[in-house]
Amino acid sequence: MHTTHVTWQLGQGAGWRPQLDGAIARAEGLGFIEVIAEAIGAHGMPAGVAAAMKRGLQVVPHGVSLSLGGAERPDRRRLAHLAAVAEQVGAPLVSEHIAFVRADGRESGHLLPVPRSREALDILVENVAIAQEALSVPLALEHVAALVQWPGAEMDEAAFVSELVERTGALLLLDLSNLYANAHNHGYDALESLGRLPLDRIAYVHVGGGRFRDGVYHDTHAEPVVPGVLHLVEELFALTDAPGVLLERDDDFPPEAEFAAELEAIAAAARHGREHRVRA
Amino acid sequence: MSAPEGPRGADPDREAYAARQAHLLDALLRGHEPPEGFDAAQAGAAGSALRRKRGRAVALAWPALTLELGDAFADRFDPYARAVDAPASGSPLEDGLGFARALALDARGLGDDARVELLLARAALCRHGVFASAALLRRPRRRLLVVVRLPWLMRVPNAIAIAPPNLHLSVRVLRKNPADRRGRRR
Repeated sequence: MHTTHVTWQLGQGAGWRPQLDGAIARAEGLGFIEVIAEAIGAHGMPAGVAAAMKRGLQVVPHGVSLSLGGAERPDRRRLAHLAAVAEQVGAPLVSEHIAFVRADGRESGHLLPVPRSREALDILVENVAIAQEALSVPLALEHVAALVQWPGAEMDEAAFVSELVERTGALLLLDLSNLYANAHNHGYDALESLGRLPLDRIAYVHVGGGRFRDGVYHDTHAEPVVPGVLHLVEELFALTDAPGVLLERDDDFPPEAEFAAELEAIAAAARHGREHRVRA
Repeated sequence: MSAPEGPRGADPDREAYAARQAHLLDALLRGHEPPEGFDAAQAGAAGSALRRKRGRAVALAWPALTLELGDAFADRFDPYARAVDAPASGSPLEDGLGFARALALDARGLGDDARVELLLARAALCRHGVFASAALLRRPRRRLLVVVRLPWLMRVPNAIAIAPPNLHLSVRVLRKNPADRRGRRR
């Protein structure tokens, strides 16, 4: 078991992308950035990431290709790369997804959900343990937004994630946009589900933008954060003090002022939630 | 917690699980009926999202072709993505070249920018040594763009633009990524 306790305070974060380099360099009050681990190659660190480190920001490598929810055991080379990136940036932790991204040699191109069955959970627990063995820093696991659900679920998402975190000792990367998306698209109460997630195991929190298309909420990271997600930020901080909240933007990059306003809106929602909790 | 080390695929649970994941993935990528028990509308939305994401990466690597196709891009990319898997390299440039070929675009019907983009992508992705091809550009004046790739000389495609009528010869060495507009001619 690799049970780790959250000892860090990350503060406000932004997912570093080359297109956001300037906006992140000039953003006020950032405590950390996240880098896509697979985007850090043999050619070294992007200048913007190195500059952020110099300014004292913490860097969290975020993996997207381990396929921890896959039927195959995680690939040693991918794990070694993630571990090397973590070392290179002096990361306090790394994060990956509760998802599969390839099967039978074909890549999905995006994160796909796993069945919420005992059997899938057992395989996932084993895969996570293999990843933890290869990493010298704690691993946080992110639940994904799933447009499609496997039939025959034996438990709901909160129960599945709780048991996974419990059995592996991994931390939780709580993505409030994914929670919002799944609750909206699959008809359950996001707040009720939030209350049953292991909030004391949160490594940090993701928030991203999205849009509705034909009544379905798509977690695109290409639009502003919707009010319903900001509301969840407030509700979360009314329940607990998460160590960090990070904004993910991956496409249709906004002007710098708009990006700064998004960061501020998230920070304000967290402040409001915290005030409720302190007063209560 | 120990990590069991058996040979890959030796575990019957994992084998059955692999087959189920492969079946779902195939249905999503191809836009086929999902496996039994799945909600067809949900699977349809998930499959479309996967193909849209793939198309977005191609669009970013192929800005001129994307501009040229305009609103038709999405409608034409989706059937392509259903029929043809993304290249193993994961390269959106290579994916876009396959897409352009599948469209059987008549290069003469394309604008200058898209033709240059196509030519440079073909040169960059050429795996068999020497590459040479040309396109007659129309604006701002008629010029012949010759793209030559000499792999033993340099790894990037070398473009030579010859501008009649004064036969002024300009040679530009391009950056490694030909989809990068900053690296292009002029």
